[in-house]
Amino acid sequence: MGSPGFPTKATHEGVRRIGMPRALLFHRYGPLWTTFFEALGREVVLSEPTDKGTVERGDALSNDECCLASKVYLGHVASLLDANACDAVFVPSIANVGLHRGFCTKFQALPDLVANTFADERVRVLSCLVNEREEKTGMKEALLGVAAQLGAGSREAKRAWKAAAHAQTQAERFAAAQQMRALTTLDRAREAARDGEAAACDAHAARDAGRTDGMRGAGNASGTGGTTSAGGADDAGRTSGTSGTDSANRGTGARRPNGAADTGGAGPRMAAAVNARAADRAASERATVATPGTQPQRTAPEAPLGILLAAHPYVAHDPYLGGTLVDLLEGMGAIVLFTDETDRKRALQASFGFSSTLPWVVNRELVGSLMLLHEHVDGIALVSAFPCGPDSMTDDAIVRCIQGKPILNLTIDAQSGTAGLETRVESFVDILRYQGKGGYVHGADA
Amino acid sequence: MAPTPNQEPDRAPYPPHSRERVNPLRTVGDASATDEVRGARVVLGDGGRGPFKLLPQSRRKRSAKRDRHARTRVAFFRYSYYDIAFKFFVEHVLDADFVALPKPTRRTIELGSRHSSDMVCAPFKHILGDYIEALELGADVLVQFAGPCRLGYYGELQESILRDLGYEFEMLNFATVTGKPLTEYISICKKKVNPNVSVPHGVRNMLAVFKMIECLDEVNDLYLANAGFEAEPGSFERAREAYFADMREATCERDIAEAQRRGLDALRALPTRKPARPVRVGIVGEYFTAADPASNLDLERKLLALGVELHRSLTMTNRNLRYNERNLRASIADYVAYDMGPTSSLTIASALRYAQEGFDGVVHVKSSGCTPEVDCVPVLQRIGRDTGMPLLYLSYDSQTSDTGLDTRLEAFYDMLAMKKEHAKK
Repeated sequence: MGSPGFPTKATHEGVRRIGMPRALLFHRYGPLWTTFFEALGREVVLSEPTDKGTVERGDALSNDECCLASKVYLGHVASLLDANACDAVFVPSIANVGLHRGFCTKFQALPDLVANTFADERVRVLSCLVNEREEKTGMKEALLGVAAQLGAGSREAKRAWKAAAHAQTQAERFAAAQQMRALTTLDRAREAARDGEAAACDAHAARDAGRTDGMRGAGNASGTGGTTSAGGADDAGRTSGTSGTDSANRGTGARRPNGAADTGGAGPRMAAAVNARAADRAASERATVATPGTQPQRTAPEAPLGILLAAHPYVAHDPYLGGTLVDLLEGMGAIVLFTDETDRKRALQASFGFSSTLPWVVNRELVGSLMLLHEHVDGIALVSAFPCGPDSMTDDAIVRCIQGKPILNLTIDAQSGTAGLETRVESFVDILRYQGKGGYVHGADA
Repeated sequence: MAPTPNQEPDRAPYPPHSRERVNPLRTVGDASATDEVRGARVVLGDGGRGPFKLLPQSRRKRSAKRDRHARTRVAFFRYSYYDIAFKFFVEHVLDADFVALPKPTRRTIELGSRHSSDMVCAPFKHILGDYIEALELGADVLVQFAGPCRLGYYGELQESILRDLGYEFEMLNFATVTGKPLTEYISICKKKVNPNVSVPHGVRNMLAVFKMIECLDEVNDLYLANAGFEAEPGSFERAREAYFADMREATCERDIAEAQRRGLDALRALPTRKPARPVRVGIVGEYFTAADPASNLDLERKLLALGVELHRSLTMTNRNLRYNERNLRASIADYVAYDMGPTSSLTIASALRYAQEGFDGVVHVKSSGCTPEVDCVPVLQRIGRDTGMPLLYLSYDSQTSDTGLDTRLEAFYDMLAMKKEHAKK
C-alpha cells in the first residue's frame, strides 16, 4: 500500500485496543485474527454475542436490502463504538484467496461500508486487503501490512503470524475432530440400533428379517415385544458408564457378523475411512461425546437423527441467527453436524466435482462438505440469512443436484418469533423419522 | 506456402487477387456490394502474401474440414442495443450464424422468473427468459460472460436449469476460462462454436467489435443528452433506430465508420429546443439493469419525456473498454478505499463527478438485492449529503407494471425543476 521506496507509515501506531466484531468472517478467521493481534501485544476487544438488540441496531443502521448477517455486523460495530471500548475496529476487505475462491462482494466492501455508515462517529477502521488473484496479497501479506500500520517490526509481525496461523490450524483441526467424533457417535448409535433390531429379528420369525432387508438403519416395524426388549438391552449398555459404552460397543462389533446377515447390505454404508480415523482417538474422547448423543430418552432403540446444518459459519455459529435452530434440533434428539467444520481442504477439493465455476469459497466448502457427508446423515438443513446473494444461486444448484436426502431449506430473517421455525423443524424431523422407519405407507406407526 | 488458385475452387467467382483468396471467412452472395470495400481494405497483404504467409499452410486440409461442419446458430442474451455488437462478434469473429431475438415481451420475464429461484437477482431471470426464447428460435449455442459477482455463476446455473427443462444446446460460458490465457478462450470457441475459427481474422474483427461498441455508446450518449428537447416528437428515436439498423448491416470496420458518420450527422441535424439551463440528470448503477431498457422499464425514455438532459456513464465502453479500476477509485478516495464490486467504483465515481459538474440529480438503478450496489448506497447517501445533490434510488425486480415508476420519476423531476427554479431567483 505504501509508495515504492519508502517504508510503510505506521498510521495506527497508537492503537492499543482493537475492536473485533463477533460477526461475519470472525466465525471463520476468529482464532487467526485474535491470536495475531494478541501476539503483537494488542488487546482484542470482542463484541458481545449477537442478541435481539444487536440485530435491531444493525437493522436501523443498514440499507433495507442488505443481508441479515451484514446488518448484524453493523450492530456489532455499533456496540463496539458506543462502549468506547476500543481504539480502532478491525474490518478487513476480503476479495478472494485465489481463482474460484472468492468471497461475496459484501466482504470486499465492509471497510468502506463501516466507514461510511459511521462517518459521523469518526470511526477508526483498521483494515487490509486480501486479494490473491489480482494483487497477490493473501491473508498473510495483508496481516503483515496491518502489523506495519500498527508500528510493529517485520520480525515481530512474522512471529505473530506464525502463532496466529498455528492457532487457526489448531482450531480448524479441533472442529474437524469434533465432527469426526459426532459422526462416530452417530454411526455407533445406528449400529447399536441395528443390532438391537437384529436381535429382535433373531427372536422373531425369519419373515421379519426379510422385511428389514434393505431398509434403512432402524426398521423396527416388527412386533412391539421385540423392540422393547432390545431397547432394554440397549439402555443397559448406555447406563453402565463410560467403560460400559466402550465394551458394549465392542460387543456389538463382535456380534455383527450374524447381524449383518440379517440386515443385508447395511454395513458398507458406514464410512470406513472416517470411522478408522475416529476410532484411533482416545477412549475418553469417545465417552464424553457419546453421552450427549444418548441423552434423549426413547424407549425404542432408535438411532438419533444426523442432521447436517449447511450454512455459512456466521449463520450456523451465531447464537441468534443459527443458534435457535441448533437448539431446536438438538432438543429433538438430533445430532447436528456443521458443514464448516469439515476439513476445509478436502471440502474445497470435493466441491470442484460439483461445480467448476462456483465463485465463492465459503459456498464451495459448504457444497464440498455436503458431498463428503451426504452418505452419513439423515437429512440436510440448508440455512441462509435473508437475502443472501451467493446462497440465492447455490441453494438452487444444491437442491437441483444433490438428491437422495431430504433437504430443509430455511431462510432466517429478522423476525424474532420462533414459532414458525419450530413448526417447520418439527415436521422435518418427523419426516426423517418416518422415512427411517420405512415411510408412511409401510406401517411406521405400529 | 501461399495457396494457389486451384486449391479453393469454390472461390472461383472472385478475381484471382481479391482479398477473398486468403480470407477463410464466409462470404455470401452480393459480390458487387462488397467488392469495392473488400478491395479497399487490403492493406496488409496481396495475393496471399503478407502476414498470412506466416500462418500454418494447411489450407487445403482446413477447407476440407470446413465442409464437414454445419454452421452453428449462436444466441446472446438481450442487453440494450449491444445485440448489434454481439451479432457482429458472432458473424465475423466466431464465423457462425447469429440468432436475433425479437423485442422482449412479458412472456420473456415470466418464463425467466418461473424457472429461477425467487431471491436471485433480476438480470438472471431476464437472461434465462432470453435463453429459453432463443432456444425456441433454434439456437444451438448460448453465450454467457463471467463477472466478479453473482454473474460468475450465472452460466453454470442457467445451463443446469435449462438442461433440467429438457433443452439441448451448448453453452459457451466464459466463466469456465476466467484467469486462463487467451489460447483457452480460443480453444473453447473452437470447441463449442466453430472448429475453423480463424485467429488472425478473429482478432482483427474483435477490434472492430470494440470500435463498434464505442460508436454505439457515442451515438447513444448524444441521443440521451438531446432527445429530451426534440422539436418534433419521436424524431430522435427514429434517427437512432435508423442508425442501429444501419449499424446492424455493417460487415467491416469501414462500414462501421460510415454508419457512425451518417448516424451522428442525422442526430446532429435534428432540430431541438434546448433551454439555456436544462435539468440535467445522471444515471448510475448496476451493469445490466441501468443500461437495459427492458430491465429498467424504459427508464431513460420516461426521463427524456419529462424533458431532461440525461447522462449515463455506465456503458460497455466505460466499464469494459476504457476501465481503470485503480484510477477511478483514486478519484473517490475521500469516500472509499477498496474495490467494492463489479460496478461500484464506477457508480460512486460517476455520481461524484455528476455532483461536481453541477447536475441537478442522479438516479441510482439496480436490481433488487444486488449486493455491490446495495453497498454503494451508504456512500451515495453521504455524497448526496455532502454536495446537496438529490438522489433517487430505484430497485428493480421482475415486475412488469411501471405506474409506480412513473409517479416516482415525475415527483423527482418536479422536485429537481422546482429546486432549480428556486436557485435561479
